[in-house]
Amino acid sequence: MTRLTVEIAVACTAALAGAIVSYGSLKIGTGWGDAGPQPGYFPFYIGLLIVLASCCVLIEVVIEQRRRKQVFLTREQGHRILTFFLPMLGFVAVSMVLGLYVGLALYLFGVMTIQGGYRIGKALAVCLSTIVIFFVVFEKWFQVPLLKGPIEALLNIY
Amino acid sequence: MANFGNLMDGFGIVFSAYHLGLMAVGVLLGILVGVLPGLGAPNGVSLLIPLTFTMDPISAIILLTSMYWGALFGGSTTSILFNIPGEPSSVATTFDGYPMAQQGFATKALTLAFISAGIGALFGVGVITILSGWVTQFALKFSSPEFFAVYLLTFCSFIGMGSGSPFKAVVSMMLGFAFATIGMDGMSGNMRLTFGITELIKGISFLVAVIGLFGLGELMQTMEEGLRFNGIHARIKVRDVFGAIISLPKYWVTLLRSALIGCWMGITPGGPTAASFMSYGLAKRFARNKSGFGKGEPAGVIAPETADHSAGTCAILPMLALGIPGSATAAVMMGGLMIWGLTPGPMLFIERPDFVWSTIASMYLGNVMAVILVLATVPLFAAILRIPFSIIGPMIVVVCFIGAYQISGARLDLWLALGFGIVGYLLKKLDYPIAPMVLAMVLGDKTEDAFRQSMIFSKGSLTIFWTNSTLVAVIMTLALLLLLWPLIGRLTGRLRKTI
Repeated sequence: MTRLTVEIAVACTAALAGAIVSYGSLKIGTGWGDAGPQPGYFPFYIGLLIVLASCCVLIEVVIEQRRRKQVFLTREQGHRILTFFLPMLGFVAVSMVLGLYVGLALYLFGVMTIQGGYRIGKALAVCLSTIVIFFVVFEKWFQVPLLKGPIEALLNIY
Repeated sequence: MANFGNLMDGFGIVFSAYHLGLMAVGVLLGILVGVLPGLGAPNGVSLLIPLTFTMDPISAIILLTSMYWGALFGGSTTSILFNIPGEPSSVATTFDGYPMAQQGFATKALTLAFISAGIGALFGVGVITILSGWVTQFALKFSSPEFFAVYLLTFCSFIGMGSGSPFKAVVSMMLGFAFATIGMDGMSGNMRLTFGITELIKGISFLVAVIGLFGLGELMQTMEEGLRFNGIHARIKVRDVFGAIISLPKYWVTLLRSALIGCWMGITPGGPTAASFMSYGLAKRFARNKSGFGKGEPAGVIAPETADHSAGTCAILPMLALGIPGSATAAVMMGGLMIWGLTPGPMLFIERPDFVWSTIASMYLGNVMAVILVLATVPLFAAILRIPFSIIGPMIVVVCFIGAYQISGARLDLWLALGFGIVGYLLKKLDYPIAPMVLAMVLGDKTEDAFRQSMIFSKGSLTIFWTNSTLVAVIMTLALLLLLWPLIGRLTGRLRKTI
């Protein structure tokens, strides 16, 4: 994958986002109403500017020759990114269902044992103490509750 | 000398055990955030804001600003000891700081960095103290066209002064504006760009964006580069500390020049990163011994550090007085101010002088405290970096997501943070600047309101931005000049080539 491909993909995505913004604004009126500019007035032109600027970026990157052959990600770098990103994605997905406390414990445990090569006992100790510390700091001290799931409900922790 | 009296009142409020304690906590958390890769000052402040909802605004701002100072100092520590800039603004410190540490002068490099940073910061606060009254007087003459003009000037300066492609800066900024318009429209009550998703009615919080863009995005980049800490063992020797302090007056010209550059770049929104690079460059240009730079020249540590911190503190002045943040972190703090129910701008100085002047007073004390605390805790924080990344990495990720969730307790925010993380990583890799996006998200609503109100005044004619007052005409013209600066630069460059 060359850098040029990614540059083009990102610029096109940005242009698409701009088009969506302008399209979304059309529905709420982009003209002049009884109380001055209508709500869609400002975002409509913002959307157009995004499209315009993305096109300029597109032209700019295509003209600049030297970036064509530049590699965006080597295989090794891609591997490193994925080993970091996929567990993170899993953490968010699990937290949606089971709550943040269970999610973070599973995530920490997984990364420590599989990627870090820690022994299960040590990883468990780190996970449990993290849960306890976070619980005390957020729920008791600052009184900002975190997302909880069915397991906390079973244990009657709110 | 009304400012001086007000400042003393501010000191009176700040000098309490509770506030000093908060300051120490803020500084220590800040150093931690600055030291850890992936967590920087804007992100750290975003993570703390939800915890300040229940505090009174004065305590909250003391905690947040102290964290900012701590983060700036923490960033320098890792630059010197590990050759890893904890903050983008401390990249220039690695050029000479790390070679100094390699040669066995770690204590000297750290002391010079911290003390000159402290001097830069105090210089910055001094400038704020003197200028704030004047800026307020000036800003009181503002109505909506003037405010829109100043916002435009801020945005244009990001486009014109940026080092990369101006089009990329525009894309990033306009995307920020677009994100800011999502949700309920404050003037008409209409839903905008929610596309039927009820969770989007409250809009996308810029805090979630900062956590994703700066925190997760930066972490991904760190991971991609393959994290390796080649740390130098730091043991602070008291004798070396004093030796470094005694050598400091020799560099008074560098100190003064760097502090001035920092003030200028902090007040006009150039930001600490640009200031530190510019100051390093100038120090090298004016130095008698140019070949020493890059190999462990003390002036190469002093110059970027002084400018970095004086820009960091000066960025607070336009934030308080005009409601225009001079750096990404100041933008986040300003968002905090609005959440606490304060309106940044000239009226803040009139309605809440206690808040403004305790903030300024706490900046003096906080920076002094930060210098002492950071010197005392260098070995501790250097040890934290020796904890394996398979523990620290996921911990940072967890803290980022918890922070994103706490902002409003919405599940969608977790996905949004992840999405912004990917966006941040891609944009950073492709050299799109991220600060304009954050700035646009914070200022988007205010800019739009100012624009729409001006349009109502003028019944839809854009000429109001030149005819309302001389002031607005000057600012608008300046803004457009700045916007076209990259184009003008290219044209004159081409002309010179042809001649």
